[in-house]
Amino acid sequence: MSSHNQHNVSVQELYEGDQSKLYSGVMQHHTDVKSAESKAQVKKIWNIFWILLAITIVEVMMGMFVSHSLPKGVVNFFLLLLTVLKAGFIVSVFMHLGDEIKGFILTVLIPLVLFVWFIIAFLADGNFWLHMNQTTPARPHIEQVQNS
Amino acid sequence: MVQAAVPTVKEQNIWGGGRSPYNVSYGKMMIWFFLLSDALTFGALLISYGTKRFFSTVWPDANQVFKSFPFMGESNLPLLFVSLMTFILIMSSVTMVLAVHAGHYGDKKNVIKWLLWTIVGGFAFLSCQAWEWSHLYGECGGLWGAFTNLSGAEFIQFFDPKNAHVHSVLTNHPMEGLEASHQFFNFFFTITGFHGAHVTSGVIFNIMILINTVNGTYEKRGHYEMVEKVGLYWHFVDLVWVFVFTCFYLL
Repeated sequence: MSSHNQHNVSVQELYEGDQSKLYSGVMQHHTDVKSAESKAQVKKIWNIFWILLAITIVEVMMGMFVSHSLPKGVVNFFLLLLTVLKAGFIVSVFMHLGDEIKGFILTVLIPLVLFVWFIIAFLADGNFWLHMNQTTPARPHIEQVQNS
Repeated sequence: MVQAAVPTVKEQNIWGGGRSPYNVSYGKMMIWFFLLSDALTFGALLISYGTKRFFSTVWPDANQVFKSFPFMGESNLPLLFVSLMTFILIMSSVTMVLAVHAGHYGDKKNVIKWLLWTIVGGFAFLSCQAWEWSHLYGECGGLWGAFTNLSGAEFIQFFDPKNAHVHSVLTNHPMEGLEASHQFFNFFFTITGFHGAHVTSGVIFNIMILINTVNGTYEKRGHYEMVEKVGLYWHFVDLVWVFVFTCFYLL
């Protein structure tokens, strides 16, 4: 509560010293933890918690009961969709990335686009080698040696 | 004095130094970039796991590998224990964000309260992981590299018993099952171990900032940005678990 004794510090001084004071909100008025604004923020945090919990329960139910009866591709598509949704909530609300300015959000997110290439290339490669092994006699040959 | 933080610099000089174009402090920006690099490391591990999985004809079934619960003996409870672990980690993420929130308002008492709960959650998660590892140590007869020869063939218990294709592969080409089990558990222990190391260091950081908060270090400094930065790390650990959970236990 006693965080507002810094007002006579000049902005220039902060740049040269403890920069974090400039952007930590200490210069703005966050005084009352019981204010309506504060309560709304806490409510939002708990709402996100319930959403994350619900998504996790749905995922576990899918893993337990439908992963062996529906086509694997359909189940996996929905599981991955729910996972990305969960990740999005955590990053934008819990990590407050959603509250940063657009340029910074893009700076953090754009390098992650590499994963799209990364995943497609490597999984395709794994698939290719499986195909190779099944169409060449090398593998059964190794097994015979091991078994004998 | 309300908006004193806005510096009087001409717009065209926004990238010319002397101000932060992204309006974040140096420390916060750097923790974001560190987390980005860490995300690429975890991504590389999980994608290599995926590559090996695509490489294999058969793969262990999570519902068979992870079906035990402490003190429940041999009862078949697939995914229940890992759901508990996921719940613990999400819960500790909530308590962390509440600590960060209290920090924004300079509310020392609540920062201490929520940090304590976060530390409790971290220890609870690590205890669960220790139990799971020791349980799997018993099941596999080791941690890394426990599946190296066909004699005994205990790995059959980890595969789906109802799947005809899997059954025929394991009968005709048992080496495929052995190799898949070898890959599955090596990746499992490496990735959950690396994640567990992150949780451990996260708990240590949390204890450090708790001590600083109790000592009034942040109160004197005038802000709780350190709680925010450690909070970012802690949420990232939770975020990684979201993906580990999907890749190992669900897909």
